[in-house]
Amino acid sequence: MAAWDLSVTVVDLGPDAPPVTLSVTSDLHVGGVILKLVEKTQIKRDWSDHALWWEQKQKWLLRTAWTLEKYEIHADARLLFIPQHKPLRLGLPNGITLRLLASFSSPVFQTVMGICRMLNIRHPEELSLLRPVEEKKKKKDKDSAEEIYDLTEVPLSSASRPCLYNGMPAHFADSPQMEAIYKMLSITQPPPAPEVIAKQYRPASVVDKAHINGRWLDSSRCLMQQGIQENDRVWLRFKYFAFYDIEPKYDVVRLAQLYEQARWAILLEDIDCTEEEMMLFGALQYHISKVSQSEPQLMSTSAAMDDLDSALQSLEVKLEGESSSASEMLVRTAGSPELNDYLKIFRPKRLTLKGYKQYWFKFQDTSISYFKSKEESIGEPIQQINLKGCEVAPDVNVTASKFLIRLLIPAPEGMNEVYLRCENEQQYAQWMAGCRLASKGKSLADNSFQSEIQSIRSFLAMQKTNAGSHGNAHAADESINTHSLVSPRYHKKYKAKQLTPRILDAYQNVAQLSLTDAVMRFLQIWQALPDFGLSYVVVRFKGSRKDEVLGIAPNRLIRIDLGVGDVVKTWRYNNMKQWNVNWDIRQVAIEFEGNINIAFSCVTADCKIVHEFIGGYIFMSTRSREKSDTLNEELFHKLTGGHEAL
Amino acid sequence: MEVQDLVLEEEEEEEEDSDKEDQDLDKMFGAWLGELDKLTQSLDDGRPEQPPQQKAPLRQETNMANFSYRFSIYNINEALNQGENVDLDALMADLCSIEQELSTINTKPNSSGSMARLGLTDTKVQTCTCLCSMYMDEAARQTSSHSLSSHRRTGSVGTVSEHEVKLLSILRMTECYCFGLLCTISVAIPVYVQEEQAAKLKAENIRVALEKIKEAQVKKLVIRVHLSDESSKTMMVDERQTVRQVLDSLLEKSHCGYSPDWSLVETINELQMERIFEDHENLVENLLNWTRDSQNRLMFTERIEKYALFKNPQNYLLGRKETCEMAERNKEALLEECFGGSSVSVPEMEGVLWLKEDGKKSWKKRYFLLRASGIYYVPKGKAKASRDLVCFLQLDHVNVYHGQDYKSKYKAPTDYCMVLKHPQIQKKSQYIKYLCCDDVRTLQQWINSIRIAKYGKQLYINFQEAMRRTEAAYDWSSLSSSSIKSGSSSSSLPESQSNHSSQSDSGVSEMTSSGHTRSQSVVSSIFSDAWRRGTQGEV
Repeated sequence: MAAWDLSVTVVDLGPDAPPVTLSVTSDLHVGGVILKLVEKTQIKRDWSDHALWWEQKQKWLLRTAWTLEKYEIHADARLLFIPQHKPLRLGLPNGITLRLLASFSSPVFQTVMGICRMLNIRHPEELSLLRPVEEKKKKKDKDSAEEIYDLTEVPLSSASRPCLYNGMPAHFADSPQMEAIYKMLSITQPPPAPEVIAKQYRPASVVDKAHINGRWLDSSRCLMQQGIQENDRVWLRFKYFAFYDIEPKYDVVRLAQLYEQARWAILLEDIDCTEEEMMLFGALQYHISKVSQSEPQLMSTSAAMDDLDSALQSLEVKLEGESSSASEMLVRTAGSPELNDYLKIFRPKRLTLKGYKQYWFKFQDTSISYFKSKEESIGEPIQQINLKGCEVAPDVNVTASKFLIRLLIPAPEGMNEVYLRCENEQQYAQWMAGCRLASKGKSLADNSFQSEIQSIRSFLAMQKTNAGSHGNAHAADESINTHSLVSPRYHKKYKAKQLTPRILDAYQNVAQLSLTDAVMRFLQIWQALPDFGLSYVVVRFKGSRKDEVLGIAPNRLIRIDLGVGDVVKTWRYNNMKQWNVNWDIRQVAIEFEGNINIAFSCVTADCKIVHEFIGGYIFMSTRSREKSDTLNEELFHKLTGGHEAL
Repeated sequence: MEVQDLVLEEEEEEEEDSDKEDQDLDKMFGAWLGELDKLTQSLDDGRPEQPPQQKAPLRQETNMANFSYRFSIYNINEALNQGENVDLDALMADLCSIEQELSTINTKPNSSGSMARLGLTDTKVQTCTCLCSMYMDEAARQTSSHSLSSHRRTGSVGTVSEHEVKLLSILRMTECYCFGLLCTISVAIPVYVQEEQAAKLKAENIRVALEKIKEAQVKKLVIRVHLSDESSKTMMVDERQTVRQVLDSLLEKSHCGYSPDWSLVETINELQMERIFEDHENLVENLLNWTRDSQNRLMFTERIEKYALFKNPQNYLLGRKETCEMAERNKEALLEECFGGSSVSVPEMEGVLWLKEDGKKSWKKRYFLLRASGIYYVPKGKAKASRDLVCFLQLDHVNVYHGQDYKSKYKAPTDYCMVLKHPQIQKKSQYIKYLCCDDVRTLQQWINSIRIAKYGKQLYINFQEAMRRTEAAYDWSSLSSSSIKSGSSSSSLPESQSNHSSQSDSGVSEMTSSGHTRSQSVVSSIFSDAWRRGTQGEV
């Protein structure tokens, strides 16, 4: 067979080095080419990660046993000899950028698996990469100054699960720097400054939201094939909103990132919610940031300690459950803690012109009773009010020294409204804490009493700093601008100090949650929003003349009329018989049970993206059946690959 | 019905004519003492207590009954209205004796030997007395309108009224004390009354029993449960029991066929509304919301709407307007999809409902939406964008009730009304919200969607638990009769090409739409289980 010259550019020789020319025959296999090449460069190093990239055809020559003939490579082929793993700048949901080695040669699906393995995120199938939204020129300068956390030194491993050391993957335990990076991955970020939120891109309409979905990378092709270069920036995001088997013990990073993605989706109004829901999200964010500051060592306990901890915890719960009535009894007999003080009371329902009247109040168990004066408190109270099951709302203005506890007490005749006015912060925090516990049926003896007082006081402190000058926001590290907790819409609607009582109101229901529980609650409420999990794509239905929006959810497809802005039709995957993509005319056709056929072409995203979304969700729903940790990559590829899979 | 009516009854020799009900109570009392034993044991061992199943030996009961007085909470009003033979006079006598005792305690504490024994439970006696007297107040008021069955111990009405006077004086004496204690002290406590010459040993037994109660500190209520045939049952529940547990023991006692549809329904006559208690709810907690003079009733009855949501989920979860059929496997997948995940998605319920205006008899139309965070409405002149919605109410503190006959009561546009109120509200109030739907289907969809929003996954767990019990209640003997039928019905299952999870550990999907062909459903679920196992093997 005739020999011919094949020229290969070896990037490692330097940018100006001429291509290496090899004399080859067509029956030489790729492995042989590489061997010759390495010999010729005469550089001794580990070449094992290098492979040949065929520039014109945009493909890797990874099958080393294939001959050049089989690859149809001729003398005009421009081949590059480059490493398969290259550094990539990866934007995480929490806004932090990592620099790490990612595979540029395997399908993005596997690249994501590798990244997730390195970052200790389980269920990588739920995540994917997307091209970032272009940043404005002005920000570019700032970008260079942005801190990038380097993980390129982490050795590549193929183990499906990294071995854990001190509760984190071994490669993070190497040095304090690495440990710090892991901490950053696994701990939620402090609330962003309101200006940061305001500066971010916010989708204004469902069409805007649709545009982001055109940016997803094709998971069945590699990064090189999609024009991603070394050191390029991509975003890692949760793509499929079907989060399987969340286990706080193993999913520290996954949960933290999921929370961050959810938080930003809410702050940027990527997903709509009501004002009440926004306040609750705000309260949870406040609580999470506060608790994560106070218990930062969440993840650095070893697995064994985790087990012990959880065992102890469950034991505690058990004991609590069993002995609650007994312990209550003990407290009762042994003289339970009380609060005694002069407070002012007002009943807005009574038609009197009288304002607040002062009495001697006594808080015992779950009841408040009041007397004319301290001296008469041994006798019969004027009234006793049991607060069990009542609603408690704060009405506080620190600057105006207004400390009001509004009680809505259920009675057979309806709800009784009672206001209690406290003199100062100290008194308010105690009585408010008592009221809150009592409303849940807990007495002052409950061990959450002190922490309840603390959380009330810290919230009051926040109001104080908000009321003061905006400049010294860093004065007290406890303080958070409430504008950091809600979307910009509410920055305009309410001043920070108007927002505080509303968030405080929502906060009282979550103040006792642990960090993990608070994060989980946040995610649950997010998942319960009606629009949760919808990824939008602008499409043109067959036979229709106008653009419409297709919403792709974990369990269904919806059709949204842009004119009305309403869902006009819902199709569920349960009823889906098959879906096809005509790659020539780039049209998606879906058949549902009952002879329902729909077909559409995609406007804002490639039809491969839509195809992948649907196939991906079908894949996600099959997971529970296997109950194993091994990912059925082949099935995913079959369902999402399209013509690549054939 | 008033649950908390306390009645003092005297035993045995005075009551040759003790009716069936009393025997029930006897048994219950005996069983209860047996339970106490177990309870204290388990408390000592520190093990979680199992709800006691078996009854204590009968002999012990009668022994106890011979010398002891018995407190029970019992619906006296109800009994009087029904004209049942209630020992009111015996009751009076007992109260009288207690009053005497009280006065002895008051005047010369720790004087007699009998008092020493009583000393241990000093406060308890007082408490019981005041509780008892409080409830007797009710009974006493009723007596004037009710002709007393002449009984040999207390012959004349005059005696009764005399007792009544004394009774009321005790009542006044102790009432306020009583209010404070009502929630904290065990409600039903056997009291040792040193009236007759009872053996000291037996007295000691009681003392032990009392101590055990003190240890256990478990609230017990004797409740009256009404059946659909106008009869009623009396039973004891303790404060830890869930509705499911009470249902189970009722089912066991009444020998009616097991079905997940059996429900405990609270009817609030005064407000003309009712609610099916959810299986996981605490019964005692709910019943303690009733007022003393309450006309409320607790019904034990079959209600298909209790779990209709799970039998035909397609009619509730898909937000469709029209009812339709769905293949069983799809139902199962739908339920798993809705309830199986980490969060429960609330059905998309929205539409125009009538809202009763506060304090008026007029009803206004509004566009309401249900979200996990509560019920919202669209304000006038706004689109239904999430951010513009106005919160109508949040569901944490309210329960959803079914309003009855509101067309005539409140001039409602239709009789398909639901009510949202705090469980403690028992009388007309501006805090009760009334909503009216155009048709029964919409009403059921709303009620069930609100239940999902309020209870979430718990509802599904309840249903699965109920189904498990249904299956357990039917043994394999029913297999032969219906196996052919169900075999053929399940043959369509393997055609499934659904990519969705079909995992479910109960025969959820196999529940037939009627819900009454039980044996078949059980068998078919066995088949489908087997089939599922088979297919899992394939995968």
